[in-house]
Amino acid sequence: MTAVISNWSHDNQERAKRIIASYPEKRSALMPLLYIASLEHAYVSDDAMREVAELTGITPVQVQSVASFYTMFKRGGVGDYLVSVCTSISCYLGGADDVLAAVESSIGDVAGEAAAERPITVEHVECIGACGGAPAVQVNYELIEGVTPEKAVALIKWLTATRPEVILTDEMQQLFGGRRSFEWGSTDSEGAVRPIPAFGPYGSVGGGSVGGGSAGR
Amino acid sequence: MAEHGTVSIIINGVEHDVPEGERLITAAERVGEYIPRFCHHDKLAPVGKCRMCLVEVEGPRGSALTTSCTVPVTDGMVVHTETDVVKKAQEGILEFLLLNHPLDCSVCDKGGECPLQDQALAFGAGESRFIEEKRTFTKPIPVSELVLLDRERCVVCDRCVRVADDIAGDPLLEFIDRGSYVQINTFPNEPFSSYFSGNTVQVCPVGALTSVDYRFKARPWDLESVRSVSLVDSVQSSVDVHTSRGKILRVYGAENDAVNEGWLSDKDRFIFSAFRSPDRITTPLVRDGDGFKETSWSEAVELVAMRLGGHVGTEVGAIGGANGTNEEAFALAKFMRTVVGSPHIDAQLGDGLDPHLASSITARGTISDLDAASTILVWGPDLKETLPVLYLRVRKAVRNGAALVVVSPYSTGLDSIATHSLRYRAGSGPEILRKLAHGDAGYEAVTETLANGPVVALVGRSSITENPMLAEAVAAFARSLPHAKLLPLLTRANVFGALDMGLAPTLLPGRVSTGDAAGVSLLEDSWGPLPESAGKDTMAMLEALIDRDLVAVILAGADPIRDCPDPAVAESALDAAEFVVAFDAFMTDSTRKAHVVLPAALWGEVDGTVTNLEGRVQRLRRSVQPRGMSISVSAALDDIARAMGAELGAADWQLINKEIAAVAPAYAGMTADYLTFEAGEEGAVVPIPGATQPLGHIPVEVNVPVVTGRFTLHLAPALYDAGVLVRNSHMLEGFADPGVVRMHPRDAASLAVADGDLIDAEGVGLPVKIDPEVPERSVVITRNLDTTRGIAASADIRVETVRGEP
Amino acid sequence: MTTKILTTRMDAHPTDSHTLSRYLATGGYEALTKALTEMSRDDIIEEVKASNLRGRGGAGFPTGVKWGFLAPDEPRYLVVNCDESEPGTFNDRQLTERDPHQLLEGIIISSFALDVHHAFVYIRGEYPKAARRLQSAVDEAYEAGYLGDDVRGSGFALDVTLHLGAGAYICGEETALLNSLEGRRGEPRLKPPFPAVEGLYSKPTIVNNVESISNIPWITSNGGAAYAAIGPERSAGTKMLSMSGHINAPGNYEIVMGMTWRELIFDIGGGIPDGRALKAWIPGGASAPWFVPDEHLDTIVSIDDVAANGSMIGAGAVIVMDETTNVVAAAHRILRFFAHESCGQCTPCREGTSWLEAVLKRILDGNGRPEDIDLLLDIADNISPGLVWPPLMTTICPLGPSAVSPITSITRWFRPELEAMIARSEVRVG
Ligand SMILES: Cc1cc2nc3c(=O)[nH]c(=O)nc-3n(C[C@H](O)[C@H](O)[C@H](O)COP(=O)(O)O)c2cc1C
Ligand code: SF4
Ligand code: FES
Repeated sequence: MTAVISNWSHDNQERAKRIIASYPEKRSALMPLLYIASLEHAYVSDDAMREVAELTGITPVQVQSVASFYTMFKRGGVGDYLVSVCTSISCYLGGADDVLAAVESSIGDVAGEAAAERPITVEHVECIGACGGAPAVQVNYELIEGVTPEKAVALIKWLTATRPEVILTDEMQQLFGGRRSFEWGSTDSEGAVRPIPAFGPYGSVGGGSVGGGSAGR
Repeated sequence: MAEHGTVSIIINGVEHDVPEGERLITAAERVGEYIPRFCHHDKLAPVGKCRMCLVEVEGPRGSALTTSCTVPVTDGMVVHTETDVVKKAQEGILEFLLLNHPLDCSVCDKGGECPLQDQALAFGAGESRFIEEKRTFTKPIPVSELVLLDRERCVVCDRCVRVADDIAGDPLLEFIDRGSYVQINTFPNEPFSSYFSGNTVQVCPVGALTSVDYRFKARPWDLESVRSVSLVDSVQSSVDVHTSRGKILRVYGAENDAVNEGWLSDKDRFIFSAFRSPDRITTPLVRDGDGFKETSWSEAVELVAMRLGGHVGTEVGAIGGANGTNEEAFALAKFMRTVVGSPHIDAQLGDGLDPHLASSITARGTISDLDAASTILVWGPDLKETLPVLYLRVRKAVRNGAALVVVSPYSTGLDSIATHSLRYRAGSGPEILRKLAHGDAGYEAVTETLANGPVVALVGRSSITENPMLAEAVAAFARSLPHAKLLPLLTRANVFGALDMGLAPTLLPGRVSTGDAAGVSLLEDSWGPLPESAGKDTMAMLEALIDRDLVAVILAGADPIRDCPDPAVAESALDAAEFVVAFDAFMTDSTRKAHVVLPAALWGEVDGTVTNLEGRVQRLRRSVQPRGMSISVSAALDDIARAMGAELGAADWQLINKEIAAVAPAYAGMTADYLTFEAGEEGAVVPIPGATQPLGHIPVEVNVPVVTGRFTLHLAPALYDAGVLVRNSHMLEGFADPGVVRMHPRDAASLAVADGDLIDAEGVGLPVKIDPEVPERSVVITRNLDTTRGIAASADIRVETVRGEP
Repeated sequence: MTTKILTTRMDAHPTDSHTLSRYLATGGYEALTKALTEMSRDDIIEEVKASNLRGRGGAGFPTGVKWGFLAPDEPRYLVVNCDESEPGTFNDRQLTERDPHQLLEGIIISSFALDVHHAFVYIRGEYPKAARRLQSAVDEAYEAGYLGDDVRGSGFALDVTLHLGAGAYICGEETALLNSLEGRRGEPRLKPPFPAVEGLYSKPTIVNNVESISNIPWITSNGGAAYAAIGPERSAGTKMLSMSGHINAPGNYEIVMGMTWRELIFDIGGGIPDGRALKAWIPGGASAPWFVPDEHLDTIVSIDDVAANGSMIGAGAVIVMDETTNVVAAAHRILRFFAHESCGQCTPCREGTSWLEAVLKRILDGNGRPEDIDLLLDIADNISPGLVWPPLMTTICPLGPSAVSPITSITRWFRPELEAMIARSEVRVG
């Protein structure tokens, strides 16, 4: 039952190495590696935790202890698209509960409930720092501000129908967003290929410093 | 201003002098102000998590609520522990802790000794204001084979996690989730298998962690507690033995800072389950054809007296005595030297050290010297496997900044925290010693570390296959290090006591050499003439039995067929003996060869004193009655002596204890009364003031030959082996590993074997385990497993591929 | 008062303010050149002290003074806090996405001043775009020699590593952040020791907020005195305020403190939608006690004035609630947040926040009891004794006591509404 990170794609092994090397102590790479593990296995599986434990020189339960502390490391049951509806105070004041209800009814799912075979998983989340553009929604952590219940339903339909390989924040904002917290500036060409934050070193596509990574499944 | 090293603080208006830097909660307790707590534990780093210990401390901006477990006392500190603010805060915390805590005290093992329950009563929490639903978890889950976890009862104090991570170094138990969902758990399929898991049960302030065995066995108020000593290894940890209705129900580590600081190994803690094994010998047995038949004590005693009396004294030998009390060992030594008239006695089984080195080394250190060491050198058996509580003490020293140098033929438990860990091929120890002593190229860093004193050197034999004289040479080297203190390492429970009692061919009671004419004549004044010829050690006795120079042998809790380096020799010797009498609690390979087997009481069943590896004497107290007809070895010998027409004076342990204090120079004054009224529960290291140490062994540089051969053997000791108590303990049996031959990948390649392939090691078939930690051209085999016990401990071993079908 | 320091570039160049070329074209990295060539480490620290810049992460601790506490041990670290998770705040996000080089230049100058050779930016995981923008800036800076072994030929070496969080508000607390950065659970540490003495990897560490550090280039260029001259003495410089909730013009505003709340909400924020009445607002994020029009509308927006009125400006999040707001539901929403975000290591926060949430939920569900108001206050009191501001704590860190703010606020300002809601339940239940 030993961990074999050689199961990881070559790209991800290289990423892991680079990330570990960028910290004074390798345990610091734990969270980035959990993201890469999620990129590889779609969520933080037991095997992934064993692999990360091996890479960081700690025990699997220590990895699990850390992973379970953070809400963005999922233990399974997440579809291709993770739709996070913010229902914290400012979004709540702006009508976020209606957005959540609209999303839930449109996919006939209940927020937060596991939906492994479903392409779309819905969760409600605490404040995501988009209060000026409330209510806000993220798809695979890519943001849309100024969402209405109607636009949220349209978003779900669009995701189901087009199954985009890469989630791009500007594209979604244009299609389904409204008022923003602030002027966004030029269009961002990087986007998410998995329900993990699309950040160059962890894998994302469309531009940026790393790029690559296998899109879709 | 208080005196040096102390500060003066004011608690509730009263001024007290307390040790500088101590944590407030401890200082307050010292002066009689008990502050409630859950997460605080004297031996664990402060975490300040439960917040139960809040008190008011006055500061520049008025009084502030402060956790007394996290702040060190400072001079002039003004503390209030009983104000309304403090009371309100503490009651509030208690209410929070009880919100989600099940009210199942009546079925909880902790009920009756639970601080949560006590404090709830003391503070009168009254009716719950919490009308919402309590958090629930599925009922108790095993976190290991020995420990169960009931998550609902957990108060998130972090004690168990700190014990697992910081103390034991086995981070297998951790907090999972966050916020009000926090719980402790293990990783799926990765249990909390630690040699120290039971300590978590002991530190858990509530009934969340319980031992599988103790669960539902008793209510705390039914328990009687006896302070005693664990006779599992030569650390001799202090324990509180809890009994109910004549049975030992659990063993807790006692707070003896000089020895074990409250910690125990699981072997210390759970081995008592062997005491009630159905396989205990409970009546005297005499040989009857191929088997045994039960007999009465008087018949057995008559028989033994007759058979022993029928031989010339010097044709009789005695082996063993290292598992009992000092009084039992002394009685055996005296019996042999005076009643039988034989010098052939040995508490070691050819697996130990020169008795002079072990009993009387100069500059001998103590366990607590480790706390003050700058550098620790460990060159001996793997401490984790053999002396686990000493292993914890070394870990603690390293945690507090000591440098650690480990030298060993195979990986040891301490390697991961060692500053330098040097590996050598089994048999080539003398070579590496030479290099170290001469500061050869490549060893500068190690030499530099070792030059930083005070140094404490723990020196022993890494394995039974190693030349015992290497330890002598290592000790000589270590003695040359700055401010060096030495601790000789032997592991059998009371072997140091036995040697001190004269259970060695070259020692008389009280650390007197048989070559010391003055010492001999002093003892002869009370014992009468002693045998003249030199004594034989165990291996010599076994050879002599084969050669018929010896004809009878006494085995006192010894199993030479299992434990001496050459099982075949031991077996032939016992076969050849005309008479073998064994004192034992269990049938062993050796007792099966005896003509008479006398049921021996185990240590929880006898009273006396014992001596640990630092020379500390502690009181061992009886906690339960001996099983069946078992009695102490000394009482049995007293009867036998009488039947032989002699007076041993060993009918009662206190008589022997007084005699030891009278005739054993290093033990002068070391009476049970002294231990009780002067030394107290810590025990005392001999010699105490007024006593002398006649023998002061200065280790010498000796030329130890390097063993060469195609493969050299390291017979590694393991905590859980097929030793007699482990295999008779229903809690621990089955923990031993199955037995493999470990070898370096290149050696495996040269033999063309892969993991799991069967290999022939000196005639014993074992599977191969490829292990890069093994130096090339040596093999590592775990000692004393059912599968490995036939292997002779010669340093040079024949290893061959098994051809064809096994 | 239209002085702007942090947002001029992004306002003037909406499409490319985040690029190195635009940054250089608008005077970027000149402050760094000045620092490296004309100033000593101590000079820079003196200027920051003189600027009266107070930390923008919430506590308002003077940045220069904090820098002065950095212990001499080596190595030492700078950690920039971009965990921004306090409900209502989104200004660090804008600064990082829109002007990452300004932040980066601040980091390089600060690192030089503090003799730091490895700086980290901890960015919350929900901000991938901010992380991407800052990573591109870092890549550009390495390329152009502003980072690396020899920063612009000065011999000063600096590496910058971005670290993404993963959904835990508590990691904004500086010691929890350090644990998280070390690959541990984001649980706050006991203080002392403070990070400046024992921080990341137990080494001396300065933790500063994104906005605090973004001010450093301007202070370096223009001098501490010029910064101190802006705004009220003890609230010097500009401050980014995030306005949200029931307000016509939500968004970030870089302001000079000293105006009244009336001016802020009605002039700058454009007032309340559809002419509805203002009911309450939170002056400094979910952690802060609420303000109400009758008492506070004409008080001054500054760190000290807000504190004197029993609340805090915090990280600058103004959350506005109009007359339609169900304040009990709003309070519940905030309590839900804190219960969700409590790390769980200390008893009062772990148990207290979820209990408070449960009681509010019960009241909202129509099962309130008259004694619930006293119960709420007493639970709150057991987390934050005396219910005073700034709070006293039975906890390890201020998260638990922050969670008490909505409770003290609604019981203080909206008690009749709360009572009425409970009374309705009694009718229903009884
Ligand atoms: C619960 C809690 C959450 C916090 N969150 C943040 C945050 O998201 N960003 C931040 O800069 N400071 C946050 N802080 C404050 C930091 O602990 C720290 O004081 C600050 O980062 C220091 O930077 P400054 O001196 O530049 O303000 C938080 C504090 C607490 C107690
Ligand atoms: S199981 Fe016991 S020792 Fe461990 S955290 Fe819970 S209460 Fe503390
Ligand atoms: S005993 Fe002090 S906080 Fe737990």
